Amino acid sequence: MHALDFDYMLGLVPILLGYLPLTLEMAAAGMACALVLACLLAVIRVTRIPGLNAVALLFISFFRGTPLLVQLFLFYYGLPQVLTFLVAINGITATILGLTLHFSAYMAESIRAAIVGIDRSQTEAALSIGMTRAQLMRRIVLPQATRIATPTLMNYFIDMIKSTSLAFTLGVTELMGATQKEAAGSFLYFEAFLVVAVIYWIVVEALSWVQKWLEQRLNRAYQR
Amino acid sequence: MAKRSTSTAPWRRTTLALALGLATSLGAMTTQADTLRVGMSGGYYPFTYVEQDELKGFEVDLMNAIGNITGDDVEFVTASFSGLAGMLDSRRIDTIANQITITPERQEKYLFSDPYVYDGAQVVVRKGNDAIHGVEDLKGKTVAVNLGSNYEQLLNELPYADDINIKTYDSNIEQDVALGRADAFVMDRVSATQVIKDKPLPLQLAGQPFSRIENAYPFRDDEAGAAMKDRIDEALAELRESGKLSDISEKWFGTDITQP
Repeated sequence: MHALDFDYMLGLVPILLGYLPLTLEMAAAGMACALVLACLLAVIRVTRIPGLNAVALLFISFFRGTPLLVQLFLFYYGLPQVLTFLVAINGITATILGLTLHFSAYMAESIRAAIVGIDRSQTEAALSIGMTRAQLMRRIVLPQATRIATPTLMNYFIDMIKSTSLAFTLGVTELMGATQKEAAGSFLYFEAFLVVAVIYWIVVEALSWVQKWLEQRLNRAYQR
Repeated sequence: MAKRSTSTAPWRRTTLALALGLATSLGAMTTQADTLRVGMSGGYYPFTYVEQDELKGFEVDLMNAIGNITGDDVEFVTASFSGLAGMLDSRRIDTIANQITITPERQEKYLFSDPYVYDGAQVVVRKGNDAIHGVEDLKGKTVAVNLGSNYEQLLNELPYADDINIKTYDSNIEQDVALGRADAFVMDRVSATQVIKDKPLPLQLAGQPFSRIENAYPFRDDEAGAAMKDRIDEALAELRESGKLSDISEKWFGTDITQP
């Protein structure tokens, strides 16, 4: 047993925090792209556009059915062997791409569930007073669906932040990659990984507060 | 006076424009050719490692010294050791500075610079383990090596290779032996000795080095790779001549590992 090296841990904090922006940027970019793609997939699934619906089903099935790490290796190491121009993809881009495709598959299903979950009588009522389908979606369904989907989407975002740590396997020096290197140089594994665990924890905890605030805001219309 | 200056001005402007254009196009050409992208793991103490966010080590110092002579802009790219060869093949880097041992298989695929480190393969065990005295005692044992390293191959070439449980790692083999999860690891003698001396892990050398190794820079086997290899060989020879190569070795190891 060796005593914890507190000085080393304290010294590591500012160094590792320097890599936090890259981690957050990858997660934010992944989330933005995944949201767009997930909405698209959800709409295709709800409206059952022939042909496209089958493609969406296959897409969701594949990206939910395979591990994120396998997908990342497939994009970064595998695909450039078949399509050589893809060598231009760097580790960061491959990570954002992987996060986008992987998480959009999950998010599409929760967005679809939120839309389908709005009571059918509301749709009938809206149509009976002469609203168009687009008006129905924009004024009645989507505002309510957003409220229902927000907690699960926030959970996926939190999961995504933690999943960016896989980028270090593609040679990206993000939060986890930086920690791994510092640990390999100092051989103080426990100290290094403990510090990085606490950093991830604090970031996620902060986001949980944002989540709570957001939910309260979206719930205002329902409070008496 | 005035007449002459007006007549020369346009001519001057053209030359200036020409010179500028030439300079920028030359500049563009040279920056492309003169940026040497060097891959390394950043996790191989004391050859290439990270401390306080700074990439350091013997390989870093030597490559910078080479860059000073050739005029190349040296750009270090860190990635896991097992991924480095793939990055060289896919042109993401130009060479690898990570104690790459020259082997016949690798020579078929890559051009190698002149060797700059002469070393041996070393068995390392947990401190207090007196059951293993060298490579001949590894029968029936679990032995850790880095994925894609020549040590994995060295073990596989032993006549009793089938009796060794070879475990490949992407990093941290020292830690798994220190924890007792693997009985031994095989690495080069020089860095094993240095890790035991400088770092808090309970490890010891087991016997003498069992295989001689020569380490060098690999390049892609094409025209550009050959040109780069020649440039770096010249710089290496100059550093060897001036004693700078030995100095860098002394700084990191307290001994000269660059002589055959």
